[in-house]
Amino acid sequence: MEIEFGLEDLAKYPFLKEAGDYVKGLSLSIEDLRQDDYQPALKRAKDRVIEAIQKNFISIEISEPNLEILSFPLALILVKAIGIDYFMQKYSLAESLRAEKLLEKEKKPIISNIFKSAFNVDLISSEHNFFDFKMSMVDYLLRAKHFHKPEWKLVNRIVEKGFVYVKTHELVRLMREEIRKIVYERMKSLSLPKIPENVKEVVDEISKALPQVPSKELQEVTPGMFPPCVMYIFDLLQKGQNVPHYGRFLLTSYLLEIGKSVDEIINIYPKAPDFSERLTRYQVEHIAGMRGGRKRYKAPSCRTLMTHGLCFKDEILCDRIKNPIQFGRKPVMFKKKKTDDQV
Amino acid sequence: MSMDDKTKEFLKRTFREFYYKNSSKIRAPIRMNEREFGFMSFDKVMIRHLSFQSEGELRAFLIKESPHSVYYSCAYYHEPTLSMDEKGWKGADLIFDIDADAIPTNCKEGHDSWVCKDCSFMGKGKRPEICPNCTSTRIDEESWVCPSCLDATKNETIKLMDFLLEDFGISKDKIKVYFSGSRGYHVTVEESSLESLDQLARNEVSDYISGTGFSLESLGISKGASYDDMYRLLPSASEPGWRGRIASFFIDLEFEGYNKANKDVRDKILYVYSKMGYKGFEDFIKEIVNNLSVKIDVMVTTDIHRIFRLPNTLHGNTGMLKKKCDNLVSFDPLIDAVVLSDEPIKLFVTKAPKFTLKGNSFGPYNSEKVTLPLMVSVYLAGKGLARVVDNG
Repeated sequence: MEIEFGLEDLAKYPFLKEAGDYVKGLSLSIEDLRQDDYQPALKRAKDRVIEAIQKNFISIEISEPNLEILSFPLALILVKAIGIDYFMQKYSLAESLRAEKLLEKEKKPIISNIFKSAFNVDLISSEHNFFDFKMSMVDYLLRAKHFHKPEWKLVNRIVEKGFVYVKTHELVRLMREEIRKIVYERMKSLSLPKIPENVKEVVDEISKALPQVPSKELQEVTPGMFPPCVMYIFDLLQKGQNVPHYGRFLLTSYLLEIGKSVDEIINIYPKAPDFSERLTRYQVEHIAGMRGGRKRYKAPSCRTLMTHGLCFKDEILCDRIKNPIQFGRKPVMFKKKKTDDQV
Repeated sequence: MSMDDKTKEFLKRTFREFYYKNSSKIRAPIRMNEREFGFMSFDKVMIRHLSFQSEGELRAFLIKESPHSVYYSCAYYHEPTLSMDEKGWKGADLIFDIDADAIPTNCKEGHDSWVCKDCSFMGKGKRPEICPNCTSTRIDEESWVCPSCLDATKNETIKLMDFLLEDFGISKDKIKVYFSGSRGYHVTVEESSLESLDQLARNEVSDYISGTGFSLESLGISKGASYDDMYRLLPSASEPGWRGRIASFFIDLEFEGYNKANKDVRDKILYVYSKMGYKGFEDFIKEIVNNLSVKIDVMVTTDIHRIFRLPNTLHGNTGMLKKKCDNLVSFDPLIDAVVLSDEPIKLFVTKAPKFTLKGNSFGPYNSEKVTLPLMVSVYLAGKGLARVVDNG
């Protein structure tokens, strides 16, 4: 089914593939960016990036749809050109938060169209007083299973004939991670063209305006190398979301085991909503074996993580590993002997 | 109690004969070659990671091996015979196990007993976690399943059907209900969109059905809110899901001091809330949810690699069949799932209470030699309560 979006819509949601098609249709080349005509779009792209990285947000005002649409792929090029994964992560999150804000105020039919186009999720307008939509239980669970607050639990939802009722703001919250992923993946897969001088200058300007990466160490601990379980916790912290206790234990014990110091690890935590340096230090030092029973804790096994619902196994990269610590290392050859629990 | 070789041989021979005579009734599950099979021998050795390409192959295997138990995976794999990590998981049926063990029934005091292996202290009813006499955890249990236990599991199964049909919208033809062959019922949902759910998502499904994590807020009750606000958010009985279930419960509830029969149920809920206070009401709702929820084994439902007893095969502990219940309400497992003959067998029965099988009553027995029909002999010998004394 062909979904029609107006220019305004594409400007609001430039991560849509329809917006990408629109830009492709303009048949621009990177060299065109030298021309004066495109300077406003380049300027908007620059603002997008700086705002995203400095304020974790991108303004939702749209002066001129064409310019707004074009500024998105340009912004991706700029961030990619800075060349630091941390900023790519930050930028993607800011884009998804921007979309979230816009979607919350969006008309229902447009929301349905976006969900169909971007996520292949069918939404049905709800006849229920309190809710705006219903979505299939499978679509709901696929996303909500990662959320920890009680209101997301299926048992606390209205479930009818295989559908779960949701309010618009909930629906939009459910998709934050996916929009973030779409933007991040798009940026990751971007092969950087040879950049014209004037664009290079913009990249330099942005680099100067950027804040220090929170800690040098953190950047060295390239999240790209983390196993998916650790990455998940790391992401939650980055987004300032609450991280379950066992998740903190996983992250801390993992980082200690790959050789990070207590201070380096404490530096990761300030984004947590309930941060207390004293408490964090105590906990990290405890896991490091510097306090209490003087036992240095090892990172939990994949199996244990599975029990805690924290295993997000990557079929290929996690193959044959039994502990997150083995992730990314040369596959260890071990005899496969599995005692499966029966029945 | 460990089983002597002669009794094992007897059980195995009985099972072989049954599979030989009834081989046409052994059916391949759908998408058989994407599933893993496993079996347990009468020596209690477990073999897994098998695969069958045809119904004929499966039938021949059962006649040849005549195992204590036959299992097939709820999961579909690219390569079912490889090790767990290499199988390549594609999806899995949604499965439920309702076992008499998990349902507290009054009859257990009458027919279950336990004995501490360390101090020989004994008691009636369900086995305690630790021995009250010596705090040992090594406790032997002798449990029995009586018609009331089985009725209780049937009631849970009927409740489960309501969740599957009404809440999850699964069409009736995709839900198969079986008597497990021993202590309860198995429910399998095949060919539905839920097949793709991973373990985390299945946790949510099983929590939904078992009412785990239900919060008062989802009912519309919160600590600081005014009664007017709460009234607006409370459920009506016509609502779907948990809210509707709880509202319906309140409609039928007789509560002292409340006699406004014509009022909206929300009025009654608020009245009860006002009398009990937050904490009391929270406990009350917990109890209601516990009553309305289904006592499923959550480990089974959330395990996406589980192997499950194959329908139309015999249960090694009872000699009864895992049998499909086309009409659950009228199904009587102690008659309908009893499939072995009444050929007389000479046995030594160590201990058994009075019980009925296929409409006839037997026992109680206490260390005595008796001649019993084959179906009863296997029922007792399979549980380790009797041994054969003659080739029969």
